[in-house]
Amino acid sequence: MIQLIQIITGGLGALGFALLFNIRGRKLVAAAIGGFLSWGIFLGLGFIMPGEPIRYFLVSAIISLYSEIMARWLRTPTTTFIITALIPLIPGGSLYYTMSAALGGDMADAVTRGLYTLELAAALALGIVLVSALFRVRKRHL
Amino acid sequence: MKNSFGLVMDIGEQMLISGAEVHRVEESVARMSAALGADRADVFIITSSMILTVFCGESSYTETRRVTAGGTDIERLHRLNHLCRRICGGLDLAEARDEFASIMSQKPYPLWVEVAAYGLIAACFTLFFGGGIAEGGVALAIGLILRLTVLVSDRLTSNKIFAKFLCSFVSTALAFCGLWLGLIPTVDKVIIGNIMTLIPGIGLTNSLRDLIIGDSMTGALRLIEAVLAALAIAGGYLAFALFGGGLL
Repeated sequence: MIQLIQIITGGLGALGFALLFNIRGRKLVAAAIGGFLSWGIFLGLGFIMPGEPIRYFLVSAIISLYSEIMARWLRTPTTTFIITALIPLIPGGSLYYTMSAALGGDMADAVTRGLYTLELAAALALGIVLVSALFRVRKRHL
Repeated sequence: MKNSFGLVMDIGEQMLISGAEVHRVEESVARMSAALGADRADVFIITSSMILTVFCGESSYTETRRVTAGGTDIERLHRLNHLCRRICGGLDLAEARDEFASIMSQKPYPLWVEVAAYGLIAACFTLFFGGGIAEGGVALAIGLILRLTVLVSDRLTSNKIFAKFLCSFVSTALAFCGLWLGLIPTVDKVIIGNIMTLIPGIGLTNSLRDLIIGDSMTGALRLIEAVLAALAIAGGYLAFALFGGGLL
């Protein structure tokens, strides 16, 4: 039950951010669907593997793939779908607890939480970079 | 020559402000420069500054920009990206200028949509992190007020860190009011839900992406910004909790 609530609220939360980012029309629908997908896949993978960072990485890679496909279909930058669809996984809560522990004076707890937050964010970033590297070759100087 | 590369910089600057990745903007600026006749274009961009030097035969031209941050605007980015492609395809310069002016005149969603979005986000993430219906309702109300608080604090101060501190302070205060009025059993879920709209989670993820991809300067700047913003938010929460008489 809690899982179903999380998928629905995570997706609607992503829709909220999509509105703040001024995403419109069919792109708005695709971005919100990505939000539902990301937490759904994260929970689904939980049946196979318990580790959170590896699941963050896999979901991020799958969502990046989804974003690349949507970006080509709707002729728009990939970032549109990545930044919104990954919202339910963004380690905002974790980042907040880290800072709260640091300001509360519990440094050992702050360091543990901080490193874990970085690990999750790095897993997300790696997934994004992996897929975008597969999809395009960069040319800096023309 | 000078004017056409000024337009290229205008487009690049607006793409950067609207939320494009730094390496994408560098690529776009270099491509547009080449399409407008540059033999070579050297571009260096970080979140707060842009440098472009173009070489055409014997002459060269350099322009720098100081870029100030703005809100993410994906619709603007979408249209700028399209314009960039058309310029690379040989679009007439006068037409490009008209299209750029039209893009810049387009407005984002009206304020009431943003207010509603804040409420939606706060309520959703309160439930997402395990809050009940009552907590979701209170978070929704605080979220609506929070967007207006953001509006006021942006007017009060140009310092983004202090603005975050103020917003966090206000949303924490309102959550405790809900607790004292007996509307909600605990405050933490309501606070987390509202903090989702303020916390730089996307900034943190993007900073690591930039670091991995090789845009080290941008990544480092964004990482520092994200940590400072998170500290300010936690500070706003702590400041109220202390005021409230040892509520921690």
